Amino acid sequence: MPKLEIDGVTRRFEDTVALAPVQLAVDAGEFVSIVGPSGCGKSTLFNIVSGILRPTSGVVRIDGTDVTGQTGHVGYMLQKDLLLPWRTVLENITLGSSLHGRVTDDELERGLALARRYGLGDFVHHYPHALSGGMRQRVALMRTLAMARDVMLLDEPFGALDSQTRLEMQRWLLSVWQEQQRTVVFVTHDIDEAIFLADRVVVMSPRPGRVREILDVDLPRPRTLDVLTSAPFSALKARILHLIYDLEMADAA
Amino acid sequence: MPPERTWKDSIALQIGAPLASFALLVGVWALVIELFDIPGYVLPTPTATFDAITGDWSTLIEGAWITFKEFVFGFVAGVLVGFACALAMAQSRLVQRALYPVLIASQAVPIIAIAAALVIWLGFGLAPKVVIVALIVFFPVVVNVLDGLSSVDRDMVNLVRAMGASRLRAFRTVELPATYTPMFSALKLSATFSVTGAVIGEWTASTSGGLGAYLLQANSRLNTPATFAAIVLLAALGLIAFLCVVAVERWLTPWRTRSAARRWSRSRRWQARTRSGAPAVRADGGAVAGGQPPTTA
Repeated sequence: MPKLEIDGVTRRFEDTVALAPVQLAVDAGEFVSIVGPSGCGKSTLFNIVSGILRPTSGVVRIDGTDVTGQTGHVGYMLQKDLLLPWRTVLENITLGSSLHGRVTDDELERGLALARRYGLGDFVHHYPHALSGGMRQRVALMRTLAMARDVMLLDEPFGALDSQTRLEMQRWLLSVWQEQQRTVVFVTHDIDEAIFLADRVVVMSPRPGRVREILDVDLPRPRTLDVLTSAPFSALKARILHLIYDLEMADAA
Repeated sequence: MPPERTWKDSIALQIGAPLASFALLVGVWALVIELFDIPGYVLPTPTATFDAITGDWSTLIEGAWITFKEFVFGFVAGVLVGFACALAMAQSRLVQRALYPVLIASQAVPIIAIAAALVIWLGFGLAPKVVIVALIVFFPVVVNVLDGLSSVDRDMVNLVRAMGASRLRAFRTVELPATYTPMFSALKLSATFSVTGAVIGEWTASTSGGLGAYLLQANSRLNTPATFAAIVLLAALGLIAFLCVVAVERWLTPWRTRSAARRWSRSRRWQARTRSGAPAVRADGGAVAGGQPPTTA
């Protein structure tokens, strides 16, 4: 049984079809990237899976259970870190626990362990404004991890970072993912990022937003920077570029 | 910049610079009297004013205490009512539409006119002054708290709601703290003016004393040094009022002026405690939240 199943999900906004039927199954522990130009419906799909938006038709299942339109079943993270400025790093990481009463010593300890493990140990009592953009995104991911959901949705989490920090964060995310064994759905418009991180890349196309093709990424793990310049990587990238841009040109013609 | 240096600089800046500028002000004051030969009943010298303060110290300090009490009670009442009002208005568009014009109209009425009516309703004691101060503080608090509430990022609210927070909890976690910064901006602006409000209240009618009443008496007797003594104390009171607000602001919104939490914050105390007593925190990554051990552990 797949961990996450998106079964015939569609979404209309008044007269426009934002999402034509989408069929996608993600296995437990799998890393799936969703890539596509703006307007391809990837954010709509993201909001439907996170439960914030109801699909016009179709079902979202986690472990076989119908969770369509219900929030709280997946952990999610956006391009905006959404850290609370009045909470320290540790308090932001343990935000999920604090919403259900007083944070216990045990939860604090787990938050601290996460922060230490992933390079924030010296900053646990700092306020977010004292951190760099990359560090803030790390805290946001720690917060998502601490929510203890098997499925994590990441919507362009590194989109606002400069390219060096972004690469560093991608490698860091891979190491976190490999240790924590969560199922990750990663939305991005950056093709390199999509391939570098994922087991499979879902290519979406606009008007109407739909899944164009799902490609397997047969690159060895753990992935190093060499992967980025390897032949299979370039081939995949060429294929995805072709899928996205030939289509756009065909549309324009 | 090395931290010690900065610390010393800031002490020198924070205490030395204001003292110097006050000294300069007093110097100019004395110099103007000297240069233009101004008689003492028009403008008393700094020394004469100082003598007037020390000479009538017990009465003045008693008056200052009364005025300060009017300020504190009125200020707190104004903040509480203004905050409650803003919350009610934020909950419903109808309430906001209905109340906003009334609030604006209430601000257009001269405070001195309201003061006269308040004396008729509430007498000559503490109550009318408290109400005047509250009226002055109330409006900026409503406007700024409403601003703070509307500036909250909806994604932030969605996030905590998606994490399972109730509406009330989401409000307490995300929206309420977002009002502190704009609210304190309002309070800093109204702090000094509140003291003026208390004085206006005392001028209208007062049997309970206060610096305003003292000022009025001294003025009617053409006792200029005593008038200036009251003015100096009122200025000091305004400064104290302002500093009180700043102190409360620093205490309640530490994230605005500090990069890290205070040593006595809960998590820091917890960490200090666990370090000294309990065994060290596991650093093996095996501590994953929510009872979901990673398979790599």
